Amino acid sequence: MMNTKNTIIQKIKTIFCKIENYIKSPTKKGTAAFWLDDHQLIKAAKEMTDSGFSGFEAVSPFPLHGIDEAMNIPRSFIPWATFFLGLTGCAFGIWFTWWVAVVDWPLNIGGKPMWSFAAFIPIIFELTILFAALGSVALMFFINGLPSVNPPILDKDITSHKFAIFIPEEEIKGRGAELEQIFNKFGAIEVKQSEF
Amino acid sequence: MINNNTKPEWIISSKAKNLFVSFMFIGVVAFGFTMITDSLRAWSSFLVSFFFFTSLALGGLFFVALQFLTNAGWSVNIRRYAEAMSSFLPWAFGLSIVFFLGAKNIYIWFDASNMIGDHALEGKISYLNPTSFFIRLVLFFSAWIVLQKWIMKITLADKAKDMYKKVVKPSVIFLIVFALSYSLFSVDLLMSLNPHWYSTIFGVYNFAGLFQSTLAFIILFVLYALKKSWIKGYVSENHLHDLGKLLFGFTTFWAYIAFSQFMLIWYANIPEETIYFLDRFNGEWIWVSIALLVFKFIVPFIALLPQWAKRNPSHLCAVSFLILFMQFIDVYWMVYPHYSKSVIKFSFAEVGIFLGFLGLFLYTSTKFLEKHSLIPKDDPFHDESTSHEVVY
Repeated sequence: MMNTKNTIIQKIKTIFCKIENYIKSPTKKGTAAFWLDDHQLIKAAKEMTDSGFSGFEAVSPFPLHGIDEAMNIPRSFIPWATFFLGLTGCAFGIWFTWWVAVVDWPLNIGGKPMWSFAAFIPIIFELTILFAALGSVALMFFINGLPSVNPPILDKDITSHKFAIFIPEEEIKGRGAELEQIFNKFGAIEVKQSEF
Repeated sequence: MINNNTKPEWIISSKAKNLFVSFMFIGVVAFGFTMITDSLRAWSSFLVSFFFFTSLALGGLFFVALQFLTNAGWSVNIRRYAEAMSSFLPWAFGLSIVFFLGAKNIYIWFDASNMIGDHALEGKISYLNPTSFFIRLVLFFSAWIVLQKWIMKITLADKAKDMYKKVVKPSVIFLIVFALSYSLFSVDLLMSLNPHWYSTIFGVYNFAGLFQSTLAFIILFVLYALKKSWIKGYVSENHLHDLGKLLFGFTTFWAYIAFSQFMLIWYANIPEETIYFLDRFNGEWIWVSIALLVFKFIVPFIALLPQWAKRNPSHLCAVSFLILFMQFIDVYWMVYPHYSKSVIKFSFAEVGIFLGFLGLFLYTSTKFLEKHSLIPKDDPFHDESTSHEVVY
């Protein structure tokens, strides 16, 4: 009796482990540097970009002004996606209200024409917003690999008062000494090998 | 970042002064000339320009009160332009008295005998009559002017440390007074042109146009001062970006309110209400109606949609001019079908009187800007505004 129960629990655990490994975000080995001052981090990121490093990550408990320029991150394509999703919603709304009111279930309302565009504008407008907003959020989740469980943790203080830059091993390209110099120049409090 | 060599001061060149005075002169000539030939047209045109510029002046004060109540830091360095616009209010008061003298030409309810015999109008006599109209005009303008002076007294005294505490009271009072009085003001001046017609959203419709055009005017002031490099280092494209976002938002708001008004009237299909749109969809007026939809909403909406559009001075300048022009056309569209059914009349009478008002408006507001430092340096939020940065 006891044995069968244990095996069942064991089996469930293995299944969960498999699921976890499947949705767990893949991590890379690399170097992490930590700061207590976000301005220093932005300066360090700028220096790194200027000396030819790329593909590194900045981790912060809150959004940093100017980090996009410092890390040379191009503008997201999401606004364009939102625009075209909105257009899709608008087109769908026009087609759908026409199909309902003219093709599938024509009703005479107050003697107005079947295809009374003014009455349908609120519906078309709402569908435009719905497609654009929900579509953008869904796309954002997708390109960020969300929802992910078990995110890699660089340091437990990274969500309260520490700021970090993480650079994967393959992006260092044997310029480790130069990197160390940049970290030290801007007063990193800690530099360590880590996984992110 | 701050350029200490140039003082942030508005300088009116003698050329500009002459231009404003000649505009005023053109206005007086146009008004006098039209009075002789067609007094109804003269007063209609006067009403369009008077309403347009009074709205701009009120919009300026509304902007100032709003910024104070929200404790906004970003707008401190551009606040003076809104304050300057509100300095037109005393002149608007004087012009409203002039307008009252001629109002009998355009409002049929000025003569109670026109109302008697019509059941719907008889009930409105107690509100729509010259005496209560005059009382309302005086009451509204004196309330606005008193509150304007009160707010200006606090914001212009730069040394005041507890300015943000003191200014809350008049700002709150102004916003409440403004919401009620401006609705009734637009009802009195524009809606009552056809005393039969009513629309419960009319006050909001006019407010939407007011704030849209006010933002466009503030942007033009800022762009001019930036071009002359009077405020270099204090105001950057980040401020333009925020103003542009507000302009974009209120362009959409105007369309939303305009459509709400149209759709409910169209849907209910009550003759008393639809007459307003029938007047504006018949004959040549349909083109003005379509132009409003296209150039007051669709074109500015698309033009302001991308991020760069709100940060590009010349682009923003063109959109602001378009919006101001369309706001003028909007007021014109509300007034003129009562003067000329199904035929568009737009010539020297309209342009000349508009220029007259424009001259006076620019004269008073630039005079205000010349008198006071463009940047409120002792404002507690001055540094926050100077280093203002917009990320998205």
